[in-house]
Parts: sequence; C-alpha cells; structure tokens
Amino acid sequence: MTALMHFLAMGGYARFLWPCYGITFAVVFLNIYWARRLNARARTEAKRRLATRQEEVVYE
Amino acid sequence: MSWTWFHRFGSPPHVYRLARTLTPWFAWPAALLMLAGLYGGLVLAPPDYQQGEGFRMIYVHVPTAYLSIMIYTTMGVAAAVGLIWRMKVAHAVAASCAPIGASFTVAALATGSLFGRPMWGTYWEWDPRLTSELLLLFLYLGYMGLRSAFDDVQRADRASALLAVVGLVDVPIVHYSVTWWNSLHQAPSLLRFGRPTIYTASMLVPLLIMILGFTLYFVAILLMRLRGEVLRRERAASWVREALAS
Repeated sequence: MTALMHFLAMGGYARFLWPCYGITFAVVFLNIYWARRLNARARTEAKRRLATRQEEVVYE
Repeated sequence: MSWTWFHRFGSPPHVYRLARTLTPWFAWPAALLMLAGLYGGLVLAPPDYQQGEGFRMIYVHVPTAYLSIMIYTTMGVAAAVGLIWRMKVAHAVAASCAPIGASFTVAALATGSLFGRPMWGTYWEWDPRLTSELLLLFLYLGYMGLRSAFDDVQRADRASALLAVVGLVDVPIVHYSVTWWNSLHQAPSLLRFGRPTIYTASMLVPLLIMILGFTLYFVAILLMRLRGEVLRRERAASWVREALAS
C-alpha cells in the first residue's frame, strides 16, 4: 500500500502530473467518440438522401 | 512510371473502403504502444536528476505537442494538394485533421502549462514557443470556423485550404522558436543535431514508444473521420448504397 501511495505521490508533483495525464487521455478518448459520432451522422444523412432519391424515382 | 496508384487515392469509394480496412491495423498497435509507453514512462524510467518525478510529464506533453504541429503539417499539405489538383479526397483529409489537431493543441498547451508551474514557477508566459503554439490553436479554430461559414462544401474546401496553406508558416516558427529566440522553454530534446539531450535509454525509449503510439493513433482517428467526410461529400453516388449496406 505504501508503495502505491509513494507512486501516486510522484515525489510531490502529483497535483501537476496526474491532471497532465488526465487531460491527454481525455482528449484521446474524446477524439474516438467524436470520430464515431461523425461517422454515425454521415451514415444517417446518406441513408436519408438515398431514401429521398428513391421516393422521387417512384413519383416520376 | 504509372500514376494509377495516385489516381486511386482520388477515388472516394476506394478511399472509403481502404480507410475501413486500415483503421484496426493502426488502432490496435497504437493502443499497445501507448500502454507500453505509459508503463515505461511512469514506472520503468528513473527520476530525472533535476526535475525528479515531475519530468514524467514529458511522456504526454511531448507527444501531444508533436501531434499538434505534425497534424497541422498534414492538414496544410493535404489542403495544398486539394487546391492544386482539385482532389476532393485531399480536402476531406484536411477537414478531418482540423478537430484532431485543435484538440491536441489544447492538450499540449494545458500539459505545458501544468509542466511550467512547478519547473518555471508560472502557468503561462508570453514566450515565443508558447505564443506560437497558441497561434497554432487559433489557426485550427479559424480553419474550422471558416469551413462552417459556408453551406457549399466545395467553396468551404477552397477558402479554408488557403488559410491552412498560409498558416503552414507557423509550423517552423513553433519548432525553431526555442532556437531562434531566447526562450524560457527548453531546447528540443530529440530533434537536434548530434545526440539527443536525454541519454538514458530507459528515459528515451518510452518517449519514442509514446510518440510512435500517438502517431499511429492519429492515423487511425484520421481514417475514421475520413470515412465520414467522404460519405458527406458524396451526393447521389451509387457506391454509397453499397457502402451503407455493409
């Protein structure tokens, strides 16, 4: 337990070091989330466009 | 010499399929390298003789700062290719780079600020390196803002590409700022003539692993976003139906 506490304390730099890692990996995971969201939206939009075109063909 | 391979990169269906196939080949090695780099940087590397345990912040600060300028360079070059050869896919690459680059510039500035407080005694200083990096963030935001100001994708592509290309001038300024001016920021640790300033392999190797991991990660995210961007640009293309079915 003391070894873990020693590691987490980072020689007194804990309050700077851990937020540093936290911010970096928050950005890493946010980018995955944003990319997936962009893809999902692009697919939905493309599907809607295709559906609209099909309707136009039917009514012609 | 045949240029067919080059023309294939201009073909949206080819790029869409290639991006989907390649993504896991970059994503999984990136994840493994980042984990290895974290273990090496936080556990295996010895404390620095001057900065103690605090120096371990370089294992996230250097990769994020490097990504911020590497992604801008990729974006600027892709935008130039898009302008010169009128290549839609190149514009899609540039547009995909911007939000990734902007977020890593924020990370580089934030981690740098947290690194600066204990080492320099300040979170922020109007120093050439810090100021040029902040300008880089404004270039990314300007590029994204300009794109969103147009409804027409092609006009957005051309206008924003010009800004991206002009902004490339900031990239060498960020990199050489610490050499050209008397900066509070330390000189480059890795990219310098002769030997890097970090000698110990146990300190240097985790950093190189992290940089490689973040590079592969960027490619994976870029490929993911590129699929969305390509799909968005394709009006009425028959391949879209096929792509959506699978």
